[in-house]
Amino acid sequence: MYTEILSRFDKPWLPILALFIFGICFTAYTYWTFKKSNKPVYDSVSMMPLEDGVKHE
Amino acid sequence: MSAQSTTPSSGVGRLEKFSYDDQIVRMFVIATIIWGAVALLLGVTIAFELASWKVNMGLQWITFGRLRPLHTNAAIFAFCGNAIFAGVYYSHQRLLKARLFSDALSRIHFWGWQLIIVSAALTLPFGFTTGKEYAELEWPIDIAITVIWVVFAVNFFGTIFRRRERHIYVAIWFYIATIITVAVLHIVNSLEIPVSLFKSYSLYAGVQDALVQWWYGHNAVAFFLTTPFLGLMYYFVPKAANRPVYSYRLSVIHFWSLVFIYIWAGPHHLLYTTLPEWAQTLGMAFSIALWAPSWGGMINGLMTLRGVWDKVRSEPVLKFMAMSLTFYGMSTFEGPLLSIKSVNAIAHFTDWIPGHVHSGTIGWNYMFISGMLFFLVPKLWNTKLFSKALATAQFWTATIGLVLYIISMWVAGITQSLMWRAIDANGKLVYPNFIETVVKIVPMYWVRAFGGTLVLVSFVLMMYNLFKTMKQGSIGSVEVYEAYSLNESSIEKNATPHRSLEGLPMIFAVLAFLAILVGSAIEIVPSLLSTNYITKLDVVKPYTPLELLGRDIYVREGCYLCHSQTIRPMVHEVLRYGKHSEAAEFVYDHPFQWGSKRTGPDLARVGGKYPNMWHYRHMINPRDVTPQSIMPIYKWLVEQKIDYASLPSKLSAMKALAVPYTDEQIKNGIELAQVQAKEITTDLMNQGVPAAVEDKELVALISYLQRLGKDYGSFKTNN
Ligand code: HEC
Repeated sequence: MYTEILSRFDKPWLPILALFIFGICFTAYTYWTFKKSNKPVYDSVSMMPLEDGVKHE
Repeated sequence: MSAQSTTPSSGVGRLEKFSYDDQIVRMFVIATIIWGAVALLLGVTIAFELASWKVNMGLQWITFGRLRPLHTNAAIFAFCGNAIFAGVYYSHQRLLKARLFSDALSRIHFWGWQLIIVSAALTLPFGFTTGKEYAELEWPIDIAITVIWVVFAVNFFGTIFRRRERHIYVAIWFYIATIITVAVLHIVNSLEIPVSLFKSYSLYAGVQDALVQWWYGHNAVAFFLTTPFLGLMYYFVPKAANRPVYSYRLSVIHFWSLVFIYIWAGPHHLLYTTLPEWAQTLGMAFSIALWAPSWGGMINGLMTLRGVWDKVRSEPVLKFMAMSLTFYGMSTFEGPLLSIKSVNAIAHFTDWIPGHVHSGTIGWNYMFISGMLFFLVPKLWNTKLFSKALATAQFWTATIGLVLYIISMWVAGITQSLMWRAIDANGKLVYPNFIETVVKIVPMYWVRAFGGTLVLVSFVLMMYNLFKTMKQGSIGSVEVYEAYSLNESSIEKNATPHRSLEGLPMIFAVLAFLAILVGSAIEIVPSLLSTNYITKLDVVKPYTPLELLGRDIYVREGCYLCHSQTIRPMVHEVLRYGKHSEAAEFVYDHPFQWGSKRTGPDLARVGGKYPNMWHYRHMINPRDVTPQSIMPIYKWLVEQKIDYASLPSKLSAMKALAVPYTDEQIKNGIELAQVQAKEITTDLMNQGVPAAVEDKELVALISYLQRLGKDYGSFKTNN
């Protein structure tokens, strides 16, 4: 039954669904990332590769 | 050395002393250099083999079809693989302020991976292959890869749990996506039924096998050659430029968009095939969309260098990284372009594709690795780079070599494609003889081989430079660092959802997994379930036992690396090869053999096109029947005996895969095969071939070739 349905599944809506899911996710993470209040945090985080840690003398 | 704590203090956790495991990084660095040379040497060898058929000296172990898989596996998994592990282990520890989870696991990871590479080198030249591009290694090695990958994952995530830094830097997200996705891709694509220790059949057949294979193949590029390198880029470019990444927020957007979109793009390898239309459209749309995040990443990387462009000229590390980002931009522009159906119609199956691939692997991966090694080796051996001048010489040799490679392949690809499709006023092919289109581009094969040689020379310069650097430096004593352990106080208060997520590696990993799962599922599941592609047409019958043995020889010799077996619905293809392929024709093909490159003509309907005797002469020396052919000779096929003994287990394995062999056929398989071999031999003997050929492999191969396309419409029915 399922296979029957799937075999005739012409799927024009599939790319649309995919785009829709992507659109929602994209909006969400872009919103959170670019939220003003996050700027200082991201600025400090972006410095991470530049420090190897404090050497113990 | 394990971490030891001293002053406990309230609020910030305890101050702990620890050291980084740099020895494991050194080991991976050395392995990278050695395997890189091997991979490039193999590449240059096969480039010359394409320019002249004499180069393999008639030896089966180094013939094109067997060395090409070794070259690709060495370049991707040995060279790039070891480089990834070196870079990841170096940056991971430093970004997390923690030593790797387990020294023992690190060593198992290292030696296990080298052992896998050695076993690839010991099996592929002998023809032990699954016949699926970039996944040629046979099932025992597939299992070993899975085990070692899990070791890597445990070591990697274990380190995350021991970290002394709350936030997980974006580079590590890219590593996480890599680890998870590669595991999924490898396992799903490698599902196969073993026939013997060195032989297996893919669980999937025909169209489904093709879809799974290219979902894998494309995403191997995405998640082995791209995401880990982007992670490394986000660490090493800021490090080398000594300034933070241009926009950290852009890197967040870059990460999610890339991971989400990449996974869908696989079907662009299968445009105009019998893959369902919707899947092709989906693949094309997402491939074009990929352009945005790819360029977002490239711009982010290059902009990080703003203000230090003077250093880019003088510092080898930055110079190579800037060039690698430039080539990354170029190849990620070309990729979406090639996915547009009308462009793909011209470029697919031609040399344009190897050109594209090498602008990625040489331009992006090799250049980046060079930059990374020039950063790491002086650091890890406590010295300065031996010679900047040598690095500059390497840089230009590699760049010129690569440009020659790319341009020669553009010219060859477009020239040949235009010749294939040229139709005159009477509706006839202008170049009906395939060989005419080959002869025309052979000069370009020489240019490519020369370009490749330059790249190899550049690599040798780097090897010398790096080994000299190591020699003049010393490993030195282990440095001890200190940092506070993590406790609740480091958790950010009132963070937005994504910010909190960045501190929760496991949930983060699950979400990344979901992102790739959505695309994979929508793309693959309907095809796997759908009866459309497994409908069996009555006219299409399973291969006879002898043909099955012949097919295994076809797979073993890597014929699919020069020949396709799928005819696209285009006028010139139908004129040249016969009616276009249908999904139902491939239902018994475990694995599918559609191929991805037409160095020689398509063979989907070659059955009955020529007499047996033609194939006999052609396989022993192609130039006997096709003057100027560049196809290698296969004279060992008239010396080696047919492996009849393997038939019962092969037929049973096929039956287990739902190929309708009767018990009768399985029981009498050997006899049936021998009867058919006798028929072919009798025909050959009538034309003067010695009777001794009867039990030789060539007879089995001929039986297979003569069967191709027969059931559904051979070449003859059309012309
Ligand atoms: C290095 C690339 C290369 C490899 C590997 C290769 N071929 Fe070929 N093949 C060619 C070229 C080029 C031609 C066209 C010239 C000719 O007829 O020899 C060709 C032609 C053919 C033809 C004639 C097709 C036609 O329609 O005229 C057959 C059959 C064939 N190859 C079979 C094989 C088989 C079987 C193998 C593996 C054992 C193989 N080839 C491996 C390059 C290759």
